[in-house]
Amino acid sequence: MIDLDIRLNRGSFVLDAKLFTNEPVIGLFGPSGSGKSTILAILAGLIKPDEGRFVIDGECLFDSEKKVDVAIHHRRIGLVFQDSRLFPHLSARNNLDYGLNLLAPRNQRFSFDQIVALLEIGHLLERRPHQLSGGGKQRVALGRALLASPRLLLLDEPLASLDSRLKNQILPFLRRIKEQLQIPMIYVSHSINEILHLTQTLAIIQAGSIIANGGFHEVIKDERVLSLAHSLGLDNVIHAEVLEHNQEFEYTLTGYGENKILLPLLNKPIGSFTAISIPASNIALSKLRLSALTIQNQLHGTVTAIRKIDHRVLVSVDIGCVLIAEVTAKAVHDLEIKCGDSVYCLVKAQAIRHLGDSAD
Amino acid sequence: MLHDLLNFTPSEISALFLSIKVALWSTLASCVPGIFVAWLLARKSFIGKSLLDSLVHLPLVLPPVVPGFLLLILLGNQGLIGKWLHESWGITLVFTWVGAAIASAVMAFPLMVRAARLAIRQVDTNLEAAAQSLGAHPFRVFFTVTLPLAMPGVLTGLILAFSRSLGEFGATITFVGNIEGETRTLPLAIFTYTQIPGGDTAAMRLVILSMLLAFCALLVSDLLERRANKRLGLNPHDD
Repeated sequence: MIDLDIRLNRGSFVLDAKLFTNEPVIGLFGPSGSGKSTILAILAGLIKPDEGRFVIDGECLFDSEKKVDVAIHHRRIGLVFQDSRLFPHLSARNNLDYGLNLLAPRNQRFSFDQIVALLEIGHLLERRPHQLSGGGKQRVALGRALLASPRLLLLDEPLASLDSRLKNQILPFLRRIKEQLQIPMIYVSHSINEILHLTQTLAIIQAGSIIANGGFHEVIKDERVLSLAHSLGLDNVIHAEVLEHNQEFEYTLTGYGENKILLPLLNKPIGSFTAISIPASNIALSKLRLSALTIQNQLHGTVTAIRKIDHRVLVSVDIGCVLIAEVTAKAVHDLEIKCGDSVYCLVKAQAIRHLGDSAD
Repeated sequence: MLHDLLNFTPSEISALFLSIKVALWSTLASCVPGIFVAWLLARKSFIGKSLLDSLVHLPLVLPPVVPGFLLLILLGNQGLIGKWLHESWGITLVFTWVGAAIASAVMAFPLMVRAARLAIRQVDTNLEAAAQSLGAHPFRVFFTVTLPLAMPGVLTGLILAFSRSLGEFGATITFVGNIEGETRTLPLAIFTYTQIPGGDTAAMRLVILSMLLAFCALLVSDLLERRANKRLGLNPHDD
């Protein structure tokens, strides 16, 4: 449980954040400079807020009124940053041991071997940080933070320094941590797709305040969130069930509610859930179901909102979840699209990206 | 001639060992306070910081006779602290090798502090914060993260202090005099030989000895720094 209400004034930057959540894993999402990292630094005790309070797991770590300010080394809040911050003078093994050795055995939630196996870093243990690859460093840094048995793990853009191939290699480890260790996490990123890979629970921060928090499909209804997410390259993320593989035509059929979504062949067992994303700009709208068309996916839904943001028009279509389609103002005008209309979202199978295992 | 240059007399050998003894003790004595003051100056802000900074650096810019004289006033048998030491504890510092070590330590202190401060300042505070968030008390963080990472610079400081102590002249002769076997270190012995007729060869012998000693100290410093840098995965210096 996180209950936070803090204020910090740094001249040009004002942070005034309130957040209450019982979700174990939340993604903190917002543009650069919105205060994401500052909130993490405050939780960890690296920055002292001007006033406010926060409680983690029932323990008050800071309260300006009651003069509570638990020392950093007593907070038991793990931190993993973009730069791994491994101790350069220690081997990977000694880095991992650093926090573990400071704990009384009864407080050690995980064993060294368990974490090493989970993160697959057994072969890296005798190396020094400068001998590790970027991905190796991040896995050791994750392991080091976990072995200190934190009550909350803060991940501050842990994948930002890695290229996309490495990102996709590390993400499954984060999911493993979430699923197997049941450790509460706050995952900070400016990439909403990265967050959605890990969790569906979001807190959205903009200009120093948290403007929404909750499930992705809930918060995305908020106009400010939508505009923000869109300006940061929002993709529609759907958690669909794998229904059928067709080897002959090399496609996979997935289902979401009553809609069937066809995409390039996936290597996923039938019946499992998978996260797919559809860029808003790759969705076209039609008022009728079309035939004689190469586009395979025609997802039926109801228009719930039409918003003009900057020079774009975003149409929200409820197909069981909300899909955002980016279309031109002229098209909306010509087709006379209004709220409540029944429309078909046209999506090319090739435009759908597969993100990996579904978070929920 | 060459034979003369290598033919050391017992009193010259004693000057050599006395110099090493004084320099070692002065370095040892300034090590812990030097690192502490370096850490204070590198990481803390407090009232009187610039005063402390100036005070520490004073021996570097003053004529060495001045600190020597001040030591005499403070620690001499009739001095402010010296009188108490002498009367209550029977400790005499003037005209003893311990006094020589103290004079050397005072003169070498700024070099120690400067090198260590620079090294500590270059340690990434993010690493210290990371150690704290893993549950380490700031005290432990200093000894397990800050100090090991600053070690190359701290070692340089120690070697510099050691070399400076070997060469200390002005403060030593003012505070503890020039007594053979007690306070006559290499520079003082060289000075003594230059004052007596026909002492030039003997002085030359000691000059060569001093140069060898200083050269060894610098070699050791370089070696230690390379090893420390290699351990941290840093590139060896390009100089």
